[in-house]
Amino acid sequence: MKYILLSAILLFSSCATIISGSRQEVKITSEPSEAKVYINEIEVGNTPVEKNLKRNQEYSLILKLDGYETYTTKLERKFNAWYIGNIAFGGLIGILIDPITGAIHKLKPEKVNGNLKNGTTYTTKGEKLFIKISLNIDENSEKIGQLKKI
Amino acid sequence: MKHIINTLVLLTIIALTSCTPKISSNFTNPQPKLSINDEVAFLDIEHEIPENTVKIGDLRFQDSGFSTDCSFNSLLTQARNKARANGANIVKVVDKKEPGIWSTCYRLKIELYKYDGNVSSLPQYELKLG
Repeated sequence: MKYILLSAILLFSSCATIISGSRQEVKITSEPSEAKVYINEIEVGNTPVEKNLKRNQEYSLILKLDGYETYTTKLERKFNAWYIGNIAFGGLIGILIDPITGAIHKLKPEKVNGNLKNGTTYTTKGEKLFIKISLNIDENSEKIGQLKKI
Repeated sequence: MKHIINTLVLLTIIALTSCTPKISSNFTNPQPKLSINDEVAFLDIEHEIPENTVKIGDLRFQDSGFSTDCSFNSLLTQARNKARANGANIVKVVDKKEPGIWSTCYRLKIELYKYDGNVSSLPQYELKLG
């Protein structure tokens, strides 16, 4: 019995860190695509874009595209359920290590009053977060022409 | 056994609630809030404050003992939010202690200023994504 308990403690030490890692892959797509993406106001590319972000912090997310309203939201830290493995099996090491590595968290788009920002949807596959954003047409802009491929 | 469970629950609560650094602030001259479109410059120790600036206040980031979100870039991002909320567009680092034996966190003393010129033209620290 002691051996089983000891094995469980060792096996489930730092549960979330082992399973999830200290970073999370985030893929951001938009409709229409080619919007400029800023994370913490740093330009990271045009949609679709993929970044491997540290789980231990929150991020601001901004999308800009000519003719469309600027989209802003936050990526918030939420509780990563893998951390419960430490508590369930008494993995004292994991209880301390997971918060240090940030694996105690997972990133998700901000919810206000329980609702995502208009035009935002997301899914998670494994540990990867997929965010899709529908941009709203800016009513103050007016289309005056269209370039044609030659 | 009950004692062990209580300790684990306590540790979990500490781990979940104490991961942000301790921030002390003192705003002596707050100005109207800035929008997300207003640029904010980060001046590191070696960067000089331009003339004709108005001091808005001070910030101090310390290690709460359980801080994990306390990299230099993360603290500056948090400082920028405080700056905008109080109308400042310059975040000036005046004292910087790097992580070491006693703390795994950056500890910063920051001054916030309002500058009427173009802040993007100032020599400044370029924020990085951690």
